[in-house]
Amino acid sequence: MSPGARLVAVLGVLALVLLLVGAAALFVGSAALSPGAVLAALTGRTGARSIESVVTLSIRLPRIAVAALAGGALAVAGVAFQALTRNPLAEPSVLGVSGGAAFGVVIGQSVGLGFGVLGAAGLTAFAFAGAVVAAGAVYLVAGAGRLSVQTLLLAGVIVGLFFASAITVVISFVDVNRLGGVIHWLLGNLATIPPASLGLFALTAAAGLALVLPHARELNLLALGEEAAQQLGVDAERLKLQIFAGAALLTASVVAFAGPIGFVGLIVPHALRLLLGPDNRLLVPAAFVGGGIFLLAADTVARSIVAPAELSVGVITSFCGAPFFVWLLRTRYRALL
Amino acid sequence: MIVEARGVGFVYPPARRVRPFRLADLTFGVAAGELLGVIGPNSAGKTTLIRLLSRVLEPSAGEILLEGRPLARLDRAEVARCVAVVPQGVPPQFPFTVEELVLMGRFPHAPGRYFESGADRATARAAMAATGVLELATLPLDTLSGGERQRAVIARALAQEPRLLVLDEPTAHLDLRYQAETAALLRRLNRERHVSILLVSHDLNLAAEVCDRLLLLAGGRPVRLGAPEEVLEAEVLEAVYGCEVHVDKNAASRRPVVQVVWPDAGGR
Amino acid sequence: MIRTLAVAGLLLVASPGHGLGVRDMIGRDVALAGPPARIVSLVPSVTEIVFALGAEDRLVGVTDFCDYPPAARRKPRVGGMLAPSLEVITSLRPDLVVATTEGSREETVAQLQRLGIPVYLVAAHRLADVWDVIARLGALTGREAAAGHLVAGLRARVRAVEQAVAAGSRPRVLYVLWPEPLIVPGRESLVTELIGIAGGRSISASEGTDYPRFALEAAVARAPEVILLANHSASTGGIDRERWRGLTSVPAIRDGRLHAVNGDLLHRYGPRIVDGLEQLARAIHPEAFR
Repeated sequence: MSPGARLVAVLGVLALVLLLVGAAALFVGSAALSPGAVLAALTGRTGARSIESVVTLSIRLPRIAVAALAGGALAVAGVAFQALTRNPLAEPSVLGVSGGAAFGVVIGQSVGLGFGVLGAAGLTAFAFAGAVVAAGAVYLVAGAGRLSVQTLLLAGVIVGLFFASAITVVISFVDVNRLGGVIHWLLGNLATIPPASLGLFALTAAAGLALVLPHARELNLLALGEEAAQQLGVDAERLKLQIFAGAALLTASVVAFAGPIGFVGLIVPHALRLLLGPDNRLLVPAAFVGGGIFLLAADTVARSIVAPAELSVGVITSFCGAPFFVWLLRTRYRALL
Repeated sequence: MIVEARGVGFVYPPARRVRPFRLADLTFGVAAGELLGVIGPNSAGKTTLIRLLSRVLEPSAGEILLEGRPLARLDRAEVARCVAVVPQGVPPQFPFTVEELVLMGRFPHAPGRYFESGADRATARAAMAATGVLELATLPLDTLSGGERQRAVIARALAQEPRLLVLDEPTAHLDLRYQAETAALLRRLNRERHVSILLVSHDLNLAAEVCDRLLLLAGGRPVRLGAPEEVLEAEVLEAVYGCEVHVDKNAASRRPVVQVVWPDAGGR
Repeated sequence: MIRTLAVAGLLLVASPGHGLGVRDMIGRDVALAGPPARIVSLVPSVTEIVFALGAEDRLVGVTDFCDYPPAARRKPRVGGMLAPSLEVITSLRPDLVVATTEGSREETVAQLQRLGIPVYLVAAHRLADVWDVIARLGALTGREAAAGHLVAGLRARVRAVEQAVAAGSRPRVLYVLWPEPLIVPGRESLVTELIGIAGGRSISASEGTDYPRFALEAAVARAPEVILLANHSASTGGIDRERWRGLTSVPAIRDGRLHAVNGDLLHRYGPRIVDGLEQLARAIHPEAFR
């Protein structure tokens, strides 16, 4: 099978699985709608203001879209980071970007963005600003211009730690009434967002993907080491910058629109590597779909397991992520221990 | 001349606590079909030279010409189509198979392509056949022996279809058997496939055996350039390496053989 | 009574054909199709008030924390205050959701509004606000008279407390919302005002915001004569008095004036707030209530 055909086949299978999971997720929820009711809403046989329609199309469908998009973006960012740092344990939050975005949101919430005035849109803007600041800080700390892999990792960890502490400081001054909301957000929860926000999210995620996907082949070459890649014709400095920017954009958009969710960028790339091999030309597109499947499944579990209450999806991903991480370390990466 | 260096100098940017190193007055060339060896003690500038030739570093003085054209004016892919560098092995945890590795050598020929073409795959297979790793094509690199891995890396460089093959210490860390195999491979590539080769090695005898000419570097400067018999003279080597040597002649090939005169316990 | 009716009148601006337009407690305009008949309460205080007004037939959904009166537990649940289930709320077909700026999330309010469900926000920082909340809920549920009676009765009890403690001293009071980290009521908090009415002086009355953090040293330095430890229904286990007993320099500890008070009464701004006030007064001025 030619590699192009293989890619199409893989993506086809994954897309099918995503559709199935997405369709299944439409039937799951705390509103106790019968499958027939859901189908009726989907085919437009119920009125636009009916419960079936509102729950299925205005609550569940957008949330499913958010989960799929966020999962895909995080997974691609994970693949990109692992290739960029040549470290299989690298993850979007390693960059400190999710920390920065989280900090932005915490600031916004503690300042008490008015219920009527800015609300959720304002918080998104704060998250984005925080993410950009963090990414810029990492770039500067790593020594702007000459991005060595080790300093990038180190800078990311430092910036992430800094923002984590900053968040703790802000939380300690936050009013008790607001604290619940802030902590709830920090746990990582997916929620229905308005179509305009969803559109913007899709756009920024697509932009991030566009920075990473065309360079998948060069990412493979990067595994030879920067010098060897350069000797093969890769402009390593420019590549690193583009991949860094793309992964940062992907991470920032997820944190801004969906909140800080961990482990997706670790679990999905590795699971896919076990199935598909190390070729980034397969992994990057597959991660975009596979990540969506994973997070969508996790979110569906999160919102049904203790209905009508909801677990934060971050809990599910961590519960899956931590044991997976340990298993990974013990079996595949013994050398790193 | 495939590659020509004219008065090339290089200075590493000054850094605290690092002894300043500079390369200076480097003038030499590799003729088409030649097998040139670069020898010298550690930190003589051999690795720096490789980096300069593959455009990883830019010279601070002089210029390098690749088939008559200034290296500085070529883009990286063009350079890679002309010069292929064979490093010492691959980084640890390298996850790809032999074939995937060799295919990476096709990148400079079509950097814009997402997947390699059928012609690329054919070239890769030919390269693997040339170094005898074709039957290992689907095996991951980390399951191979040191010698097999080295041959796979050479195959990757061959897949670049370069005019010049640059090898950086190809026999370091290899068993005797693989050293011999590598020497035979290099000879075959040079004589039968007319590949021009620049071989950087600390192994004086290997270099003496296979190379047409030798360039002896010390302290960043060229000391001697010429046929092995001219370069490998006892006084020259003793001055450069700082120890007593004895130069013989190999009965079969008539090439020089360098032997270290081992000091006894008292030193000299 | 008159004030209540005036407030109710100001609230309800009847627009012919377009239903009711009301203004909530933070000044937002809330458009209602008519007098709300299916209300979801995301605030335990509001649930208590609605029951107290006898309007519980209009209440179709409450949170998991709405546990008073006991009958409230039998109402359909929509989840917690922070992350109530949008789906469950939607399927209850409410024509009004009541939320609070202290405890509900902006995002929840925004999402409900996007789904076309009107959201009415309440907040109370002063006792006067509590009467306002009751009056507004009375207006919304068409139980203005009941609201008026309820408020009148509550105010009478408040006056009784004021009179009972008027003669006594005004001891320094430390109110502990949470012991570790130490969280106390500040300037904006309702509890501060209640302590004042109960004949005490909160030592943290001048601190900013509702419930700021406070250093234990600062609390000790201000030598409170009475220490009140808030007991929350959510917390398991009793109040840990032991950590306080070591502070023998503090008058409250020396004189054994360390009391537990029911946090649910004091941090929900429903009718039981006056029960809370009476509890405070008894703790601060036991001599006045024998």
